Amino acid sequence: MTEEEFSDINGNTISLDCQSHSEFCKEFTVSVPKLSLRKVMNYTCAVWLTAYAVFFATDNTNVLSAAIIVTLVGMMLHLHFVKIDHESMLIIGSLGIQISASYASGRESTSFIEMSKVKDIVINEAIYMQRVIYYLCILLKEPSDPGGVGAVVPLFQVKRSKHFAHNNRNVVIVMQYKTLYTLFSHGFTGMLTVLYLCLFQSSKPRLNCLEEVYKSCQDILGQS
Amino acid sequence: MGRRKGEGQKGPIPDSFLDFAAMNLKEVPRKQNVCMVSDFFYPNMGGVESHIYQLSQCLIERGHKVIIVTHAYGNRKGIRYLTNGLKVYYLPLKVMYNQSTSTTVFHSLPLLRYIFVRERITIVHSHSSFSSMAHDSLFHAKTMGLHTVFTDHSLFGFADVSSVLTNKLLTVSLCDTNHIICVSFTSKENTVLRGAVNPEIVSVIPNAVDPTDFTPNPSKRDENKITIVVVSRLVYRKGIDLLGGIIPELCQKYPDLQFLIGGEGPKRLVLEEVREKYQLHDRVRLLGALEHKDVRNVLVQGHIFLNTSLTEAFCMAIVEGASCGLQVVSTRVGGIPEVLPEDLIILCEPTVKSLCEGLEMVIAKHRAGSLPPPAAIHNRVYDRVAKEVVLPMDARLNRLMSRCGPVAGCIFSLFAVLDFLLLVFLRWLVPDSNIDIAVDATGVRGAWRRMSTPPNTCTNTGYDSNYDVARDLNHTQ
Amino acid sequence: MVLKIFFPQCCNAADSGLLIGRWLPGHNSAVVLAVIHFPFIPGQVKQYLNQLQSLTQVDLTVLGSWCKPSEDQERVQSFLKDLSTIFPHERWLQLSSEKGKKRFSCLVNSRGSKVFESGDKEDKGDQVICIHYDQCKVMLSQLHPAQGGILNPQTELSELRLVFQTVSQSQALFYIDKYDEGPFKLTHWQSEGREGSILVELSKQASVPVCLVLAWLLSIWYWVCKSRILNLWPMRFVSSKLSSCIQLSHRAEHLQTISVPRKAEDHTEFMRKANIFVSFLVDVALGLLLVSWLYRENRIGQLAETLVPVADHIAEELQELLKWLMGAPAGLKMNRALDQVLGRFFLYHIHLWISYIHLLSPFIGMILWYVGLSACLGLTFALSVLSDIVALLTFHIYCFYVYGARLYCLKIYGLSSLWRLFRGKKWNVLRQRVDSCSYDLDQLFIGTLLFTILLFLLPTTALYYLVFTLLRLLVVLFQGLLHLCVDFINSFPLFAMGLRICRSYRLAAGVKFRVLEQESERPLHLLMEINPLTYSAVLQWYRTLTYSCYPKDSWGALCKKLFIGELIYPWKHKNIKTD
Repeated sequence: MTEEEFSDINGNTISLDCQSHSEFCKEFTVSVPKLSLRKVMNYTCAVWLTAYAVFFATDNTNVLSAAIIVTLVGMMLHLHFVKIDHESMLIIGSLGIQISASYASGRESTSFIEMSKVKDIVINEAIYMQRVIYYLCILLKEPSDPGGVGAVVPLFQVKRSKHFAHNNRNVVIVMQYKTLYTLFSHGFTGMLTVLYLCLFQSSKPRLNCLEEVYKSCQDILGQS
Repeated sequence: MGRRKGEGQKGPIPDSFLDFAAMNLKEVPRKQNVCMVSDFFYPNMGGVESHIYQLSQCLIERGHKVIIVTHAYGNRKGIRYLTNGLKVYYLPLKVMYNQSTSTTVFHSLPLLRYIFVRERITIVHSHSSFSSMAHDSLFHAKTMGLHTVFTDHSLFGFADVSSVLTNKLLTVSLCDTNHIICVSFTSKENTVLRGAVNPEIVSVIPNAVDPTDFTPNPSKRDENKITIVVVSRLVYRKGIDLLGGIIPELCQKYPDLQFLIGGEGPKRLVLEEVREKYQLHDRVRLLGALEHKDVRNVLVQGHIFLNTSLTEAFCMAIVEGASCGLQVVSTRVGGIPEVLPEDLIILCEPTVKSLCEGLEMVIAKHRAGSLPPPAAIHNRVYDRVAKEVVLPMDARLNRLMSRCGPVAGCIFSLFAVLDFLLLVFLRWLVPDSNIDIAVDATGVRGAWRRMSTPPNTCTNTGYDSNYDVARDLNHTQ
Repeated sequence: MVLKIFFPQCCNAADSGLLIGRWLPGHNSAVVLAVIHFPFIPGQVKQYLNQLQSLTQVDLTVLGSWCKPSEDQERVQSFLKDLSTIFPHERWLQLSSEKGKKRFSCLVNSRGSKVFESGDKEDKGDQVICIHYDQCKVMLSQLHPAQGGILNPQTELSELRLVFQTVSQSQALFYIDKYDEGPFKLTHWQSEGREGSILVELSKQASVPVCLVLAWLLSIWYWVCKSRILNLWPMRFVSSKLSSCIQLSHRAEHLQTISVPRKAEDHTEFMRKANIFVSFLVDVALGLLLVSWLYRENRIGQLAETLVPVADHIAEELQELLKWLMGAPAGLKMNRALDQVLGRFFLYHIHLWISYIHLLSPFIGMILWYVGLSACLGLTFALSVLSDIVALLTFHIYCFYVYGARLYCLKIYGLSSLWRLFRGKKWNVLRQRVDSCSYDLDQLFIGTLLFTILLFLLPTTALYYLVFTLLRLLVVLFQGLLHLCVDFINSFPLFAMGLRICRSYRLAAGVKFRVLEQESERPLHLLMEINPLTYSAVLQWYRTLTYSCYPKDSWGALCKKLFIGELIYPWKHKNIKTD
């Protein structure tokens, strides 16, 4: 069991915890720093100051109460749906890969992919917002064609963005697993469909961290 | 370089070639990281596109690292690799008109800067003055202190409004570009005049085609008939209205004449109407958009290649036509007279009458034409550029002010300052140290060939069979 | 290869005995279903297994032995080893838990080869993962395929699916009670008696005759529907436009689905029936609540009294509006003659409408009283009736809109074709494209003249069109909202949602694993839990398909239609049912 410090693409520190349960079973956890009090204070202050300014201008007390409600509800929604505490990936040789994200509110979303559907794990790069980033993803097998690559499931990925292109028929799953559009294109005709599933949604680690995970995963995949 | 061999003897030898040859031949050239930027790249088809692709391939063979940046075409967004690990970024920018992106000067800076930093770019090479992305990238590259090269592929007038505006833009973006490449002497003259640049930093490097791709095959021809082939985009600039005038006239005179027209565009309607009006369905065949690999198959079916362009800086099409052994008839515009020796081409004035006369003159067939290899010269340009000093900010502003006239100079100076401030802001927001360095995948030293080390970035195998792709490089397994 | 053993949690505390289960074909894994305790006669066990096999269609076998920590462990172990010679097998599992250790260890004994221990590091050929599962939950849960779509039984048989299938098929095994006087004793998940079962059994018994009665009533209903008077053209046309009629036929269809007296064939059909049934019940309950509220304190009468003045008021407002339009609306200068003609035309219409309302006013209370009763059929029906009433009361607005739109549309078409004439082009109908064409001077002159006239008259018509379209859009919006409500009640999978909330394991999206605490020299122990479907996925899977009320066209298409003056209708259309 080792714990290493890395940074994400924004330069924030994240820690990668690599736990080896057995020779063919490893768990990688990327932990994001907790919500800092200062940030919360800043946002709250900003909202309340604006509310007070509006109140000063309009003399309407509803504005103040609305500001309080907005802050509280916004924070709750943020904790429940956006802020991720840690994301983990459990790879069990010959059984499958489980990826899960736990949110700051304690909500957990998990999904498990059987090994028979996994083709490989690779590092890919994509344009995300105004950046070009690396991410780790799982290639899935096409059910009808066991030889070809059916889909791609990104791990350690990022949030939904309109800048990510996708044009595949596996969109249903893409949405199910709260994932992302990223471009993975196969060939000129774009005939192969691709699918992305993400892990470490908000962590977005940098290449050196991804390489670490990638090497361990390849070891396990190579065994089975 | 092997691909370009043996074309060199007949074409005009550019003087800049000699200039460079005189320069330090002994010195071992530094390997450069080149970024080609243009709005026009595959899957869009045309001369600029294939020029960029071929040039990149040749530079990779010489050991440079090359990436290409263009805008997204439909669903083709993100990052792809072509042959020899040539990396292409399809950036999700909005296309405004004629496949060229809209420009707001600043909005492409974050992405371009990210790419320049992560790929460790040393030289930015923009193509085509129609491409606003090319101008943007020149602007940003200068702000970031990178060396810049610009290749102009087209000619422009000086009279109408759009030309005036484009010329102003060109002046601004060329006034502190390190080097400029033109495809013909006419084009050089034109660019020097339009851009008000020092002729010394402009070199002429003609385009070339791969003669092994375009070989004659007379057996495909129908000897009972005379076939005239036209391969071009069907747009106004290519003189399709002239073609619409030629077709009925010649078809009336010669019953054994037929036309084969490849290409797609808004002027297709003109040709269709002509065909219906004169009942020429069996003699005028419209093939629609052609893929690059199909062009040769179309060319070899004909006897005469017709080019009706109204303006043209170089015209790759006539070289391809001549290379396939067709007699070329073309309009005498722009740089066309320089392209082929006179025994290969018949030049006419851009009128229906003159073109008809020219076509009627044509009987004999000729051998394939050839041109000097361009990549060698390109290579020297980079070496020279890399030695120059990039202008510091104040000098750049001075130059902008002095060169571009009072109004535009002020405006663009302001833009330059804003661009710099934006860059400073971005550097603060996303420091360079936070940007992962891309794995170098190009060429023989690239990640594709480094099989001994674990292949840790091995994805996005967007190989195109069209571009003769080495499938063995694919190791996503 | 790694050997996977799926082990039920309830057997952790079982006495020593034999493991019964199944080797999954094609996968290197075994599912343990139960433990048979001592004492038993091997012959009887074999016979019993055969019996179960024919009952459950699962090829149950003896997988190996289970050993509990006790004083004479050594003796028991050697005995169990000997047992392996009795039962035919390829591989023989020996699971044994020891005192002081939480997890059991595992020995795999292949026929004709050496015995090796799972913790043995040198032998990489056969490592063991023990996966603990909750037998009850796995048996009852329904695993949904990951990708939206129908499960293909041939291709989709992945390992997990096989495990789920095996456990749920061997349901018969679990109904043997621990305390029954059988030939031997078993440990497995026990169904907790049948305490609620009397009610369930009674309702099951009752459901068949109820279904038959329902089916009979429905057949009468369909017979009435098919009668000739109702099939005449005007009736059919009207009934296809009235949303209450559509809702009625929709409900009849639902009832028909429910009233099939057979047992549901598979999970999907069962869920569909249950969803329809529950939503029908809720609908009727809400409808009855509405009725009880309406008929208390003569609310119907009050409603009727307010309705007529409201309609009057609307008509008056419209008249005001028209008068405003006939002048110089918002300071615009219109073509006076055309303006007057159009205005008078519409005013006359309103006059007609008002007299119609007044003619009707004495009866409105009575009509409403009877119509209100229809809420007994369900809230959805009441809402549909409301939508119809609104449509009838705003008929004049609809008429205005149609006139305005037709006039406007005509002008736009004329203008566009004349504009083409202007540029020397014409529309080629045969090839569906614009061709160039040379016109005579006369043609051009007439065309230009007409173009000018149409162009100058366009603003007047456009203004009338604009105003009435806005009114129409208001009505359409209201009706659309009503339809949205109706559709929501019709299609919301209440039963599935309830199941998701109360028994979340019943609807599984997949599984999740947890690594149990690791001890040295022990195989890897995992806990398999059921990952329930997300709420959105439940909605997506079990939404009853209905008449969709989502707009047929996109917003862009709608705007275009509005611009060129095509008629728009409430957003209700019959979409092709896709299962």
